[in-house]
Amino acid sequence: MAQDWQPDFERLVDEHQAMVYSLALRMTGDRGLAEEIAQDTFLELDKHLRSMKSEDHARWWLRRVAMSRATDALRRRRVRGMDLWVALNEQDGVTAEEKSSPLGARLEYLLTTLPEAQRGALILRYQEDMMPEEIAAMLDAPVATVKSNLQRGLKLLRAKALSQLKEFIRGA
Amino acid sequence: MSRRGIAFGLGTLAMAAGMLTAASRAQEGLPLAPAVEKELAAKASDVTEVTLGKNMLDFAAKFMKGNDPDEAQAKKLIQGLKGIYVREYTFDKEGDYSMQQLQQLRAYFETSEWSPIVRERERKSGETTDVLMKVVNGETQGMFILSAQPRELTIVLILGPIRPEDLGELRGIGGLGALGDIGAKEKTKAKVKDGKGGTE
Amino acid sequence: MDEFERELRQALERRPAPPGLKRRLMAQRDANAARRGWHAWLRRAGYGRGWATATAALLLLAMAGGGVRWELDRRQEERRGEAAREQVLTALRITGHALNQVQTRLAEHDRQSEEGGR
Repeated sequence: MAQDWQPDFERLVDEHQAMVYSLALRMTGDRGLAEEIAQDTFLELDKHLRSMKSEDHARWWLRRVAMSRATDALRRRRVRGMDLWVALNEQDGVTAEEKSSPLGARLEYLLTTLPEAQRGALILRYQEDMMPEEIAAMLDAPVATVKSNLQRGLKLLRAKALSQLKEFIRGA
Repeated sequence: MSRRGIAFGLGTLAMAAGMLTAASRAQEGLPLAPAVEKELAAKASDVTEVTLGKNMLDFAAKFMKGNDPDEAQAKKLIQGLKGIYVREYTFDKEGDYSMQQLQQLRAYFETSEWSPIVRERERKSGETTDVLMKVVNGETQGMFILSAQPRELTIVLILGPIRPEDLGELRGIGGLGALGDIGAKEKTKAKVKDGKGGTE
Repeated sequence: MDEFERELRQALERRPAPPGLKRRLMAQRDANAARRGWHAWLRRAGYGRGWATATAALLLLAMAGGGVRWELDRRQEERRGEAAREQVLTALRITGHALNQVQTRLAEHDRQSEEGGR
């Protein structure tokens, strides 16, 4: 029952570190920076631990803070769509073979080249399975804006993926 | 009438049209970003800007993975380089940048030290390509590429000893495969120029 | 959801956090807690604001956090190096892309020249 739930920091880290790290990584495209953001996010959680009311609340809070810190980090570095993507390799814990399609690997990379707002919306939608209304509530944005970012982001991503495929064929 | 024209100037020190911008060069040889880049960046839907001086290149080289053949080659390529300056702008639609802005870029980068190798203008699509080399005492000390497509602009400036054949060996870093013989193409085109006299 | 969206969803499956993140995080949390604890102790012991307190706090901080500091500096250097490396690879990728475009156009020009010459 909700009122019996007590926040346990270490358990929350175990439960959500993959989520927080993945959000930061896909927003920034930088492994080192993503790790820094993940650490800062959890240290921030530590300060607010007593105000966490439930598991859902903690998850929502972590997503929000991770996204906010990632956006801040990007702004500090004055990066816009900068390609800092690290090629997928074993060190990430997911080998290339585990990805069922080469398109999947390219999509992850292409995402980092989208404008920030579109990238954020797509990550929350397709990594976290959040609905547009939930995303809007989290980012304090109008639902229409979120839907527009999703639509435009998806369209741009499709176009980039198709363009990459054509280039790949031409070069083969 | 030919739809395209290509002019070549390999081995000759052709005086490129353009203003001398020596005053605007940073001390290490890499240029400061021209004002027109801000306009392009503001309009572009996607921007990539990389500026790396010698110190940063040397620093980066320390972190390149020697056991990865592509990175080992990349490390070899950047050794001795004085700087890399790259800009890639992607636009939502055609017409988001103007010919005037393109000409401003050309005028800014193409000073008298640069010899045109490729100048291509595709009148129908509006695509243009400029490749220039900086040759000092017979040795290549820099390469400049300005590639303009309807919705994409790319600027590449590499200072220091570099051969296009070296770049051709970099495979697997996101589409560098199948470059091979751009250097050989230069020599071939020089011979063609003598025979055909292509002009812009 | 169409096929592309399904591919995207699969591509965006969560990645495991790097090994050692939790360990480093817990270590930093403990260091923070230690700092807070010492500050609280100093206040309870009657040490108000002032240079003596600051010096004592700094000394305690240095003793407790010295190792953490070095580790943070080293990791920061590594991160900067990784970032620089990524920028180089990005720059070379874009260069290769541009050269590919040049090559494609030259090849097309060759083809058209040959056709025109026939």
